Amino acid sequence: MLQAYWYITKMRLITSLTYRFEVFASVGTNLILMLASVFLWKAAYGNGTEQVQALTLQDLTTYTILSIMLASVFVCDVQDTIYSKIREGQIVTDFYRPIPLLACYLADDIGGMLSSMVNKVIPLFIFAALFFGVPWPASPLSFLLFIPSCLLSYAILWLLSALIGLIAFWVMELGNMGMVKDSIVRVLSGSIVPLWFFPESIQTISKFLPFQYTYQTPLGIYIGNIGVREGLMAMGIQLIWVVLLYVLLAAGWRRSKSKTLIQGG
Amino acid sequence: MEAVIEVNDLVKEYIIVQKENGLRGALKGLLFPKKKTVRGVDGISFSIAQGEIVGYIGPNGAGKSTTIKMLTGILHPTSGTIKVCGISPQADRKSVVRKLGVVFGQRTQLYWDLRLGESFELLRRIYQIDNSVFEENMAVLTDVLKLEEFIHTPVRQLSLGQRMRGDIAAAMLHSPSILFLDEPTIGLDADAKHAIRHFIKEINRKRGVTVILTTHDLDDVEQLCSRLVVVNHGKVVEDGPMVSLVHKLAPHRLLVVELQQPFHDLEHPSAEIIKQDGLKIWYQFEKSRISAAQLISELSQKLPIQDLSVKEPDIEDAIREVYKTT
Repeated sequence: MLQAYWYITKMRLITSLTYRFEVFASVGTNLILMLASVFLWKAAYGNGTEQVQALTLQDLTTYTILSIMLASVFVCDVQDTIYSKIREGQIVTDFYRPIPLLACYLADDIGGMLSSMVNKVIPLFIFAALFFGVPWPASPLSFLLFIPSCLLSYAILWLLSALIGLIAFWVMELGNMGMVKDSIVRVLSGSIVPLWFFPESIQTISKFLPFQYTYQTPLGIYIGNIGVREGLMAMGIQLIWVVLLYVLLAAGWRRSKSKTLIQGG
Repeated sequence: MEAVIEVNDLVKEYIIVQKENGLRGALKGLLFPKKKTVRGVDGISFSIAQGEIVGYIGPNGAGKSTTIKMLTGILHPTSGTIKVCGISPQADRKSVVRKLGVVFGQRTQLYWDLRLGESFELLRRIYQIDNSVFEENMAVLTDVLKLEEFIHTPVRQLSLGQRMRGDIAAAMLHSPSILFLDEPTIGLDADAKHAIRHFIKEINRKRGVTVILTTHDLDDVEQLCSRLVVVNHGKVVEDGPMVSLVHKLAPHRLLVVELQQPFHDLEHPSAEIIKQDGLKIWYQFEKSRISAAQLISELSQKLPIQDLSVKEPDIEDAIREVYKTT
């Protein structure tokens, strides 16, 4: 069984690596986004905006660069995969194989993630290093904490995406739901602007939502704004969210099977 | 013979939201959707023994594909029971699908971006097929379905006939004991159809694979099936040996003759002229009374024939005709 998943991952990795144009387009747009964000922070700091929680310009530059790199690595195609397969009725072919569907989609996304690391993150890192200097972590220890925190972040993002995909079993016209979710994640995860710059009330609410634990937690750990003890605690909360979302997904999945509608003959 | 598939009083209901025309209708539908329950499958029962080739036929929308989807555990029935090799596909989908090979003619289970051979490799891992078994099956399948020409071609570049052969091979890799074929010859040319029919006969004879076939092609039915289950409006209307059913449903054939010049004495004792349009004449004749070859040779002796063709009756039309329920 594990062999099957690994084969799916490997095949996705290989096929993704052959899409050269997609790589150029993605690196290009991300590079523009990176430059624009960093210059925005420079402008804001240059005008004498007071520092927030002792964040330096260098910290925010590193935060932004890393955030954009993470966004290209965190491949969560599962919501679109489920949606389009249900819409076209193609999901039947997955159902008559003796293998859990969601695990296959995860294996596929992991393949996409591995290929992104090679062909998107490396070029972005090189460009970023050339323009703004190498974005070093605050300390070796914060880098060590950053890695597992990223894995937990990905788990949260993937589970959210799969949950949105599940809705397609009930509502055929899922349409923009995925986009709405993606926008909410972008803003509330602190991937564009860290939540530390947001009003107190939003920060409080956001503590009880899963979003800030997807980008802000690992990035805060990386730049040292979240210390070791706080970092470990934040990772504990990440883990709680992973378990919670997993239980929700498993329950939803079980119910969805009896609801399955298949489009077309 | 032991039954490998047992279906008892199967019912599947759908809820359909009726949409009304125009903007007002759309708004009304948004606020107060009008729902209607439709029975796609309405109390179907049958049992199939190991080694049978059963044609499951009926017009579009008769509930054929829905039944197949319930048999494979994809859909859950509203009521009724299904047992495939003694197991309910709804309760234990994974054990049931291990014993099944499924081909939906209008879809593919092959991976669009991968080469055909890579799709097979993936299936080998999913079904955990032993290497020796896999290689043996591959050798047989490659030989019978002539896969070697395109096994290294990406699936998206295959022709329809090649893709269908690939799909059938994919369904047979794990040596299933039951094969579901949903319109396996749809849109194929004569050569590809022939190859696929030959293959179905082979695996049935050599391996005793039970085959359930839905099709709109009368030739498929006549050449392959020993038994027919005919459905219409979600109900089984006939279940019996192929020969007698085909005769009952479609006793007539048509011979279309085009003459070189007008001719007077067109009659033939065992054929009836049902239509005439200039130099074209349509003869209807009963298969049991006269063979096409005999009729052609007798007619060509007296008529100046330019061109002719034999037409098979459309089995769906015949079913609709015979089992008018509305």
